[in-house]
Amino acid sequence: MQRPTPANPLHMTLVEAAEAVRRGEMTAVALAKASIAAFEMKDTPINSLISLDADAALEAAEGLDRLRNAGRLLGPLHGVPLAHKDMYYRSGKPSTAGSRIRREFVPAYTSTALARLEAAGSVTVGMLNMAEFAQNPTGHNAHFGDCHNPWDLDRCTGGSSSGSGAAVSARFVFGALGSDTGGSIRLPASMCGVTGIKGTQTRVSRYGAMPLSFSADNVGPLARTARDCARLMGVIAGYDPNDPTSSREPVPDYEAMLDGKIKGMRIGVPTTYFFEDADDEVVAAVDQAVAVLKEAGAEIVRLPMPYMDAVSTYGSILSRVEAAAIHSEWMRGRPSDYSVHLSARIYSGMAVPAAYYVEALSRRGPILKAFCRDVFDKVDAFVAPTIRMAVPKLFDTDIDRHGAPAIDAFNAITSNTRMLNYLGLPSASVPCGFDRNGVPIGLMIQGRPFAEGRILKIADAYQRMTTWHERRPDTAA
Amino acid sequence: MKPEFEERLVEQIEIWMGVVPPNDAARAWAAQHAAVIKGFEALRGTLAFEDEPSSFEAALQATKED
Repeated sequence: MQRPTPANPLHMTLVEAAEAVRRGEMTAVALAKASIAAFEMKDTPINSLISLDADAALEAAEGLDRLRNAGRLLGPLHGVPLAHKDMYYRSGKPSTAGSRIRREFVPAYTSTALARLEAAGSVTVGMLNMAEFAQNPTGHNAHFGDCHNPWDLDRCTGGSSSGSGAAVSARFVFGALGSDTGGSIRLPASMCGVTGIKGTQTRVSRYGAMPLSFSADNVGPLARTARDCARLMGVIAGYDPNDPTSSREPVPDYEAMLDGKIKGMRIGVPTTYFFEDADDEVVAAVDQAVAVLKEAGAEIVRLPMPYMDAVSTYGSILSRVEAAAIHSEWMRGRPSDYSVHLSARIYSGMAVPAAYYVEALSRRGPILKAFCRDVFDKVDAFVAPTIRMAVPKLFDTDIDRHGAPAIDAFNAITSNTRMLNYLGLPSASVPCGFDRNGVPIGLMIQGRPFAEGRILKIADAYQRMTTWHERRPDTAA
Repeated sequence: MKPEFEERLVEQIEIWMGVVPPNDAARAWAAQHAAVIKGFEALRGTLAFEDEPSSFEAALQATKED
């Protein structure tokens, strides 16, 4: 059933906005102007933006409206304003990666994900704040300023796609690209109360995305709903000859799979690892979410998670070693141009012996197979908290300010998310409640390789029965 | 953690990579590798797979959703 168009067009979902343009009830220019105005008027305390490209966005929107008036639609995102983590390259435009080192970097080619989104009709209004070189889970940024959670400006947005989570949460844009190497889409989705999905490793082309870890980097969307994410994933997923590591697996019609029917689906709840030392309020919110899934007809199966010690140990070094290799020249030549926490993290990766790294890589396939046999022969998907604790304050996790004492709190944020990166499994986060400070809690849903459609189906079914994803922070547009 | 462990790591990173600790947090973070080493030690002899080594990409295909 179609909802009435809200007074503020930015309060629509991405899919509602796209459909409004398609039906001629809304113009691309009106949406782009609303998005630009929202950034200009409301972003100062949140700091989600690195650069706004209003002129180019309005020019693109005018062109899209001319096409629409001529009866042509470019694709399923025709006229929808988006903004993206500032690590997706556009030929001839600066791409900072949230860093001082690459502040003046101008790539000579354009990212495939960005190109596909624009070919489908989206309008890029700007590029978003992020952790320096996509390497922190909090939202700190020493060079462009920390990104602040729209629900509580003293608290972390999550990272590394901090601006993506904040801008979508604050209703500045309908969706945004993030990237996820250890949780960098799902953490800001959880902390900012939006929906985000990291696909199966290899599902989305990484061509033109700043590399952090070639084993574990993933490109993916954050938006308000599972249906929004399904539409975005449908556009960006699929083989890309420019990225030979991208999968040739056919891309299903994700949106068509969202029928709300999860009756009989076996959904697992881990009895080991994922809830260890979790805050009571987080456990309670996830328990309530599980009860909702059960009410929708899912069969709930409690089961242990195998190989967690190996996944945790091996997964803890992969991206750190690969990042150390990528950054070694800058670490030798310009170490003071990094923030304290990032140079410290990269430095630590240089101590890991190659034999450890190769062991971690070579066991990834066998462990994935064994994990799938032990888990996905019993369940179709499993759920867990995205983050085990209430959202921390920026101050308390600031390694640049506090030094070593903040490292443990910093690392604890990714305890659950990073496991799925080592395993390469698709994983989504949807809002499922609020903590004691009124900041969102996330439910993480994962399935077999290439089960993006299934986990989006579960997320959509959950969102049909709940309203957490509809809540807006007071700081929103 | 013993300072000796931290100093040996610092020395090895300088020898192998030509990088010195950029700050105190870097030394502290590197010292946390004691836990990583313990993790690897604990795994020794506990894992055996018939098809080891094998490709991760092949495993993604072998275990994918029907």
